[in-house]
Amino acid sequence: MSAAVTEAGAAEARAESRARIVGLIQSRGAIAVLVVAALAAGLVFPDFLHPGNLGDIVTAASFLGLVAIGQTFVVILGGFDLSVGSMVGLGTVLAAYAAPYGVLAALLLPMLVGLLVGLIDGLLIVRARMAPFIVTLAALLALKGLAVLLAGESLVIADPGLFGRLANGSWLGIGNLVVILLLAYALAALLLNRTRYGAAVFAIGGNEEAARMLGVRVERVKIATYCLSGTLAGLAGALLAAHLSSGLSSAGTGYELQSIAAAVIGGVLLTGGVGTMLGALSGVLLLGVIENVINQIGSLSAAYQGLASGAFLLLAVIVQSGLTRQRAA
Amino acid sequence: MFQRERQGSTGSARGRAVRRLSIAAAASMLAAPAAFAQQDTAGSAVVQSSSSASCTNPSPSHASLAGMVVGFSQSENEQNPFRAAETASVRSAARQAKVGRLLYTNANDSQAKQVADIESMIAQGAKAIIVAPLNATGLQPALEQAAAKNIPVVTIDRATAGTPCHDFITFLGSDFLVQGQRAADAMNKATGGQAKIVEIQGAYGNSVETQRTQGFADELKKYPGLTLVAAQTGNWSATDAQKVMEQLLLAHPDINALYSHADVMTLGAMRAIQQAGKTPGHDIKIVSIDGTKGLVQAIAEGNAQADVQTNPRFGPKAFAALKGWFNGDQVAQAQIMKDALYDDVADSKAALKSGATY
Repeated sequence: MSAAVTEAGAAEARAESRARIVGLIQSRGAIAVLVVAALAAGLVFPDFLHPGNLGDIVTAASFLGLVAIGQTFVVILGGFDLSVGSMVGLGTVLAAYAAPYGVLAALLLPMLVGLLVGLIDGLLIVRARMAPFIVTLAALLALKGLAVLLAGESLVIADPGLFGRLANGSWLGIGNLVVILLLAYALAALLLNRTRYGAAVFAIGGNEEAARMLGVRVERVKIATYCLSGTLAGLAGALLAAHLSSGLSSAGTGYELQSIAAAVIGGVLLTGGVGTMLGALSGVLLLGVIENVINQIGSLSAAYQGLASGAFLLLAVIVQSGLTRQRAA
Repeated sequence: MFQRERQGSTGSARGRAVRRLSIAAAASMLAAPAAFAQQDTAGSAVVQSSSSASCTNPSPSHASLAGMVVGFSQSENEQNPFRAAETASVRSAARQAKVGRLLYTNANDSQAKQVADIESMIAQGAKAIIVAPLNATGLQPALEQAAAKNIPVVTIDRATAGTPCHDFITFLGSDFLVQGQRAADAMNKATGGQAKIVEIQGAYGNSVETQRTQGFADELKKYPGLTLVAAQTGNWSATDAQKVMEQLLLAHPDINALYSHADVMTLGAMRAIQQAGKTPGHDIKIVSIDGTKGLVQAIAEGNAQADVQTNPRFGPKAFAALKGWFNGDQVAQAQIMKDALYDDVADSKAALKSGATY
């Protein structure tokens, strides 16, 4: 009798430890891959681990990184936001228009418009019960058109001043964009893991009907999440405009899919309900490392970047589906 | 070659700048006779005219390009034949100059990546950089970093915002306005001065598109028999252009001429013309821009009338400018490439044979 109890207890403990390992791989796998990839790159290319180069990688990845925060919330919720890439482009254009009126205007205008776009997307998805894919695809097209109408190809910010330093300056030797990115991820992790809103996002992504029955205000949470995603895309656009001293209607093209890819590489489940901010950040940085390594090789066509990113994405999806089966077992 | 360059110049200041460049070009020509002979028959590595303003290195290092690490930042992927020919030209000129290492990056249509690319090449020790800018603006942080380290930057094919002599030492490129004008002249010749024309334009909001549209429209005023019936964008894409042409043919059955901003779109439009039961080059006269193999072949076969070249062979001139800069010579701030015009069967066949097309 007591032997049977201990046996059952042992089995339970085994299952528990297996679940813990599965969860660990899901949440920490991407950062392990990132560290290994960076160390390997450092062994092959001595310049790679130079602090200046590492700073450049994170700076270059910071715009996609901000977009990926919002995208991660949306994907955990069980949706997509395809409008973010165009919103970044529109954001750079709006920031370029607003820059003469001060730093605050240049930052807030794109964020406000992003918020508005998220609100419209969210309302259409929730109230009109339209598929997120279609709603945000329409926004992708419309925002791109709007950016071109407003700016043509590009606008120069003549005297970026403080606005330019916001993106290109540094703080204690660390680039401002690096600081902003890490800060944003830290806040996002708190929001996702330590608030009722974050819990609601997980609950809706896991099982929308169950969440509704538990009293989660599904509609509100969804709308808020698309608003968050739009606002962050607007912020990314504003910072990109500061970085480049320009508004570019073509900026951010492709970020919608790259941000989804980064999230998935980072262990966020496309079906919703599972994901971490650290994972998403690792996914973004891994894409940046691939980009930089291909530059270090110095003779490869950019097509290899797509090839390598695609391979990592596929690997992540294979591992994910394996883990999901493990968890179910 | 020397003669032709001088013909393109007027005014003494401009003449001086061009002569200086010619000396640099002549020097590298001696070093690499074969490559230049080939370029010369193609008639394409020649600078047509140059700006009178020039840049001179205040403290020339007289560094030799031989053995130097040089960076090349390409803007778009090389499925585009223009980009492929441009990269090939820079690579081949780098070999001719015997550079130690040519770092190559491709921004894949992302402005942020192009900035990061240039920064990473600087971090890898590039001492000179050639950039094909993706946009008319947006390279400032990278150009500033290069300037801070006294790394000369040559911009090619598209001008970008910045201070000449500080952010970049020269710009090499085609005059897209003149291309539009030459296309209108070619259209006049091809149609005998009587035509109802449709125009398929590049992607809106792009300076190349704007100038090719403007140049054509301006020059068209000279020819009262030529009327522009409709203009629409084909987004630099063959499939978009094919769709647009289908619609235009339905809406305007009486059109008999097509002006397209790019060969890739022209080839798409030609498929639509065929599908509508008309013969490209006969029922619809065709004038295009780019000078790619596919369209020059069509001219050789009588299926199109004229193609204004956009010369992608910047390599020799780019390295000549860098060499001049390191030696303390005057380098013209803007150098307009000479673009060929293919407008008859014999010329087109010769160009295909000599490898002038890309």
